[in-house]
Amino acid sequence: MEFVQDLLTTFNFIVQGLWVTISVTAVALTTGVVIGIVLAIARVYGHPSLQVAVTVYSVVIRAVPVIVIIFILFFVISRYVNLSPFWAGALALGFASGAYQTEIFRGALQAVHPGQMIAARAIGMSRLQAIQSIVLPQAVRLALPAWGNEATLVLKDSTLVFAVGVPEILRRAQQVSARTFEPFLAFGVALLLYLALTLITIQALQWLERRYRLQM
Amino acid sequence: MQKQTLIMLAFIAASLVMSACGGAPAAQPTQPAAQPTQPAAQPTQPAAQPEGKLAQIRAAGKLIVGTSADYPPYESIDENGNFVGFDMDLIRAVGEKLGVEVEIRDMPFDSLIASLQEGKIDAVIAAMQATAEREEKVDFTIPYRMTKDAFIGAGNTTITLNKPEDAAGLTIGAQTGTVQEGWIQKNLVATGLTTADKVFSYERADQAALDLASGRIQLVLMDAEPALELAKQNGLKVLLITEATAEGGKSIAIPEGASDLKAELDRIIQQLIDDGTVTQLQDKHGLP
Repeated sequence: MEFVQDLLTTFNFIVQGLWVTISVTAVALTTGVVIGIVLAIARVYGHPSLQVAVTVYSVVIRAVPVIVIIFILFFVISRYVNLSPFWAGALALGFASGAYQTEIFRGALQAVHPGQMIAARAIGMSRLQAIQSIVLPQAVRLALPAWGNEATLVLKDSTLVFAVGVPEILRRAQQVSARTFEPFLAFGVALLLYLALTLITIQALQWLERRYRLQM
Repeated sequence: MQKQTLIMLAFIAASLVMSACGGAPAAQPTQPAAQPTQPAAQPTQPAAQPEGKLAQIRAAGKLIVGTSADYPPYESIDENGNFVGFDMDLIRAVGEKLGVEVEIRDMPFDSLIASLQEGKIDAVIAAMQATAEREEKVDFTIPYRMTKDAFIGAGNTTITLNKPEDAAGLTIGAQTGTVQEGWIQKNLVATGLTTADKVFSYERADQAALDLASGRIQLVLMDAEPALELAKQNGLKVLLITEATAEGGKSIAIPEGASDLKAELDRIIQQLIDDGTVTQLQDKHGLP
């Protein structure tokens, strides 16, 4: 009975970090999707110089540890732009994820048969129209499985934002563990929360995949 | 077709939020893109602020303090999410004397100095010692609490110590490379009070405590706080708690060059030590 009591107290404390983790992940993924799709289009259909620029961004960002990007945003960039710890952390994760998502969407765009672009142009669509209405809808569908993988990775990377003082799930577990000297209970609760979030994310994406499956 | 694409994208963007919390904040993810650019117009503002850190803090009416809330009894977070502990009570008392509100922020110990340097916080209180490396980056107030050491003996020991030098001639253990071991070598061995073969070095203090319990040595000299815990767990006796063998103390870190803030905080800390507030808080949190 005492264990149940401890478990409840611990859970109630740690679960307050749930919303922070969800918000950070949502902001990061949204930023990443926008960057990823725009840069992937630029990388596949853009001017050669633009393609080089996108490749440089993608390679450099993927080469740098995410924690370093967070520090750069929080300590360096925010000398000029006033970023709160939350936004610095979430946007840094978003920029990092954007680089990975660029590669995901690039692969998906290239997987759509080139004949479709040619056919779209042949019936009088502009390149932009063809991308918007013909290529991208298929590419996004093709990207979904890999994107789901990235989403769960970003969810777990969200623990890094505590480096700038955003108290997400893992930090809350550390705080409980420091107070109660019961690390297994505290980190066990954190584990369950991450497991639940990941399973829900995976389920939601699988539903999306089924719902929007290409009829070919 | 195009509309469907947009719906798809919106779905992806919101999928995590929606799945995990019922969709209420679906509008939120669109905000970030707009927000960071908004305050871009005021980067010159910090430079134009009033003279001196102290004046800035007074003008803001708020002292922003960083800590790493995983080190009880100095700083931790209670069930209700409040910052509690010796340091927390002390900094609130300081804030009261300064006449400003105290806002405490939890961050990793490693990020505290960098955050102070970048002006994210005004001060750090985290049971931190003013080491030479830290002094290069930030300034420190006078210590608000001196480090203390403890001599401990076996539970049934008849030894009594009134001052550290009373340990002369007894077999004594300490952790290798610590300040305490240095004190023994310098003040007991080098002065001829104790022969070198009566001094034992241990890799960890708890190993020394085991030898103490088994009667292999008569005394152990170590940090007072873990010593109290160790003595309690192993049925050992605390013989003397002293500042005489220790070096340094815990200070509040402030930005480099904030001389006005340092002067004011030094004055307040001295006042809190003199009027007994510090002693009272130490007792409240069970600190030696």
